[in-house]
Amino acid sequence: MSDNAIHSDDEGELFNGFGSAPISRVGSGKRTTKRWSFHNNTKPNLVDGPSELSSGTRRLSDITGEDGVHKVASSSVLGGGQLYSTESGRLFHAGKICIALAGLPGRGKTHLSVSLTRYLRWLGVKTHSFHLGNYRRASAEDDITHDLFVPSPNSKKANEIRNKIVDECLNDILNFFKHDKGQVAIYDAVNALPEYRLELQRKFADMNIQVLFIESLVTDDAIIMKNMEEAARSSPDYVNWDYDKAYKDYSERIKALAPYYQNMGAKDENLSYIKFINFGERIELHNSNYGYLINKVVFYLMNSRIKSGSVFFARCYKNSLDYTKDPPLDEAGKKYARNLAKTLIDHLKANGKDYILEPVNPDVARLRPSSLKRQLSVDERQPAAGVDGVDEDSLVIWTSVKQRTIETTQYFAERNVKTRHRIQLSQKNPGVVANMEEPEIKEKFPEEYEQYIRDPYHYRFSRAESYHDLAIKIEPLILEMERMSGDILIIADDTILKVFYGYLMSCSCYDIPYLNFPTDDIIEIKFNAYSNGAERIPIKDYDE
Amino acid sequence: MPVYSISHVENVRVCVVMVGLPARGKSLIAQKIVRYLSWLSIKSKCFNVGNYRREIASDVVVNAEFFDPRNEEGLKTRKEAVNRAITDMMNWFSEENGVVGILDATNSTKARRDRILKLCRENSIEPMFLESYCDDQDLILQNIIDVKTTSPDYIDTSNEFATDDFLKRISYYEEIYETMDTKSDSDLTFIKLVNVNSQIILNRIESYLESRIVYYVMNLHIKPRCIYLSRHGESEYNLTGQIGGDSNLSERGWKYAKKLPELVLKSLGEENKHTNLTVWTSTLKRTQQTSSFLPYKRKLQWKALDELDAGECDGMTYEEIEQNFPEDFKARDDDKYEYRYRGGESYRDIVIRLEPIIMELERQENILIITHQAVLRCLYAYFMNIPQEESPWMSIPLHTLIKLEPRAYSTLVSRMKADIPAVSTYKEKGTSQLGEFASGTGISKSRDLIRDSELVTPK
Repeated sequence: MSDNAIHSDDEGELFNGFGSAPISRVGSGKRTTKRWSFHNNTKPNLVDGPSELSSGTRRLSDITGEDGVHKVASSSVLGGGQLYSTESGRLFHAGKICIALAGLPGRGKTHLSVSLTRYLRWLGVKTHSFHLGNYRRASAEDDITHDLFVPSPNSKKANEIRNKIVDECLNDILNFFKHDKGQVAIYDAVNALPEYRLELQRKFADMNIQVLFIESLVTDDAIIMKNMEEAARSSPDYVNWDYDKAYKDYSERIKALAPYYQNMGAKDENLSYIKFINFGERIELHNSNYGYLINKVVFYLMNSRIKSGSVFFARCYKNSLDYTKDPPLDEAGKKYARNLAKTLIDHLKANGKDYILEPVNPDVARLRPSSLKRQLSVDERQPAAGVDGVDEDSLVIWTSVKQRTIETTQYFAERNVKTRHRIQLSQKNPGVVANMEEPEIKEKFPEEYEQYIRDPYHYRFSRAESYHDLAIKIEPLILEMERMSGDILIIADDTILKVFYGYLMSCSCYDIPYLNFPTDDIIEIKFNAYSNGAERIPIKDYDE
Repeated sequence: MPVYSISHVENVRVCVVMVGLPARGKSLIAQKIVRYLSWLSIKSKCFNVGNYRREIASDVVVNAEFFDPRNEEGLKTRKEAVNRAITDMMNWFSEENGVVGILDATNSTKARRDRILKLCRENSIEPMFLESYCDDQDLILQNIIDVKTTSPDYIDTSNEFATDDFLKRISYYEEIYETMDTKSDSDLTFIKLVNVNSQIILNRIESYLESRIVYYVMNLHIKPRCIYLSRHGESEYNLTGQIGGDSNLSERGWKYAKKLPELVLKSLGEENKHTNLTVWTSTLKRTQQTSSFLPYKRKLQWKALDELDAGECDGMTYEEIEQNFPEDFKARDDDKYEYRYRGGESYRDIVIRLEPIIMELERQENILIITHQAVLRCLYAYFMNIPQEESPWMSIPLHTLIKLEPRAYSTLVSRMKADIPAVSTYKEKGTSQLGEFASGTGISKSRDLIRDSELVTPK
């Protein structure tokens, strides 16, 4: 093999392995000009820059903040699970990719683009979603008609507005690649016609940008109904609209567009595309030798679900214990465990979820089959046996393998809730600084402390783990979590919770170490198509 | 006794049913899946119907005519082979708690697949069909060359005969072959790979375990490449017999570090001397010091490559552990793979932390990994398919460079000794003494890496 092989795109560039040297943040926080022509009034989070470099002691005491998935993917912000960095900012030897969506309204394209952005950013890939709808809302006057949505509007005015909107959006995408070291742009639009799709492919290919289409098709009317309800309730197009009116308008928009839309197929044979049918029921890859990064996208798509459940985070009691010690829970810990279980169950009930059983004698619980299997004929497809979280009405608990976290779940166990113990959920190994407070670390390891302060996410003390190490360790769990439709409770040390939170809320890795999880709250992450939300649930004391 | 068993997959059981004409790489895929899952401690086994058929019809001359759908004798034998394979698989699921069973056969008709489907449903096993479909003649011929050099059916025949006969065999299968499609099979969980990976259909993947199998299959590539493995040079703790810690290299360890670049160059050979390697080390000083003289720019540290964490026993010698924690010492010898040190890790725990980077490793080309004894055993076990009862007992000496070259059906191993003396850190079962033959019993299950690999002496 010759030397030339390694000079393509990123290969010849500076290659930073995390942990070899602290990552320098020089140049961050210095965004002087607006990079893209975003309309200031339309993009809620876009004006927020990355967290300030100078304020090294920034504390996010409130972790019920907003999802960061729509923030500008600044070149200085790294995702929590990024394995290494390159000078070009692009990873996995994958070059620049435009993922163009296709599909009628109500097919979950926005959800798809947002969740893919979240996952790719987590992998450290600079990704941004460009929702054509946001540009339309910014440009269109009040007399918005369905004419605007069809590929070739009848009125001249609508046609002009349409072309302008598309041009603006595509320009922003190009700027994102050109000036912001962007790697993956997700173009969220209907892209109804084969000619148009081919044109898009040509345009980008000329600039050395690969185009991959993901077409979202839905053949199941129940899913479309659900999406329409969701849109009528929460789409930015229907703010301050009456629900019924909004629903009607949305269904008319779909009707107006439907005759124009052509499914991807024979006419698109020269394109790379993925058909994503009924949200993962079937995935078809065409011209699919895309390489590692896109394989990861497919792996994600296989596991991505439209979720109705929540993820709950709770700390285990007394987790400030010595890393190597593994004592059972004491009385106070048992009390905490009881209160935690009761608080969560009450909360679920208050939200109309009363699927958790009353406590039963542990011997009976063991005898009772974990789920009553319906008697089905072998000629029909049967629900997957033994898979966690398939049912929307289900709770699965994940904890570490330490005795205290296992015992914390006993009040759930007696209610027949499934618990999984995972070694990956063990607290961050503190290494040589175990049991030390910051002043002591500063005194005993001044040089190391300085490096740590500069990059608390990636720095690891001798024999310790960094947050970054945890992020790599839990990646398989993240995909497993995405797949589960029901509720999940993760009981773990706050070092682990921070990393999960960082993924779900798209935090920059510079913020993750400063997240603060109080012991007396459960944090609930609710999934939403456009952005996830976090809320706190105080743990009540039931003994008083 | 701190031995835990962790349920790290759900209670799901999957039967992977291979589908496709002969010479479509089915056995290769099946074997790779078994290797990957077994390494992850997910109990899996491949049931190859061809092997059953050869067992039943050991005295019959098997040529293409045997596979003629009109050949009654052949049909009968083949049917019996399938029945035996399925029976064995179902017994394995129920009696040995199997998790992923692979039925490696052509399963080329819908009727056959239906039968397996129903059997799976009756037993609450998730059926997943994996079809390898190929109509690219070049790919097929390439595959035939691979198959006929490895297939036991063509051991004593000429190449030409084998190719012709095999093509004929395939044409008999083609007569009855019904491929899977999204209309009539829309209700099934299936994966269809068309012309290797140029088109893929994934239908109703319903568990995380299945998605992981698919992801793994998608990432398989057989580019020629070398994987070099080395332990760090002899460390100060090695000299005193202590385990764990983060000590520096000994004088001899530094000598090894200095010689390593030369060893690598020799192994690469003259024509490949400019090959750029990626170097992975752990985060501990001894591996970084060992890598410090290598001229390659891409060096990456991984926490996942750190030595097994011995928890409370970190920094002790085996004698001290035997004295202070006699029960633990014995428990570890009894089940070295599962035993987790107090506050530390087990071999199984290492595999779990290696999993996220094994895919990263699969996509790398030429790479040198400098790590520690336990981690190296786990990596070696992955590439060489070593069962977990044996892998923790493998002897992997210091100051030795191991070279792995993955091939379609096996991995080639060679090793190169640096000729720099070092202590032995090998501990046999039932003793706290170190050394390859410390106990002198010679009955241990240890697997000597040296014996099994080709020894290359530096010229």
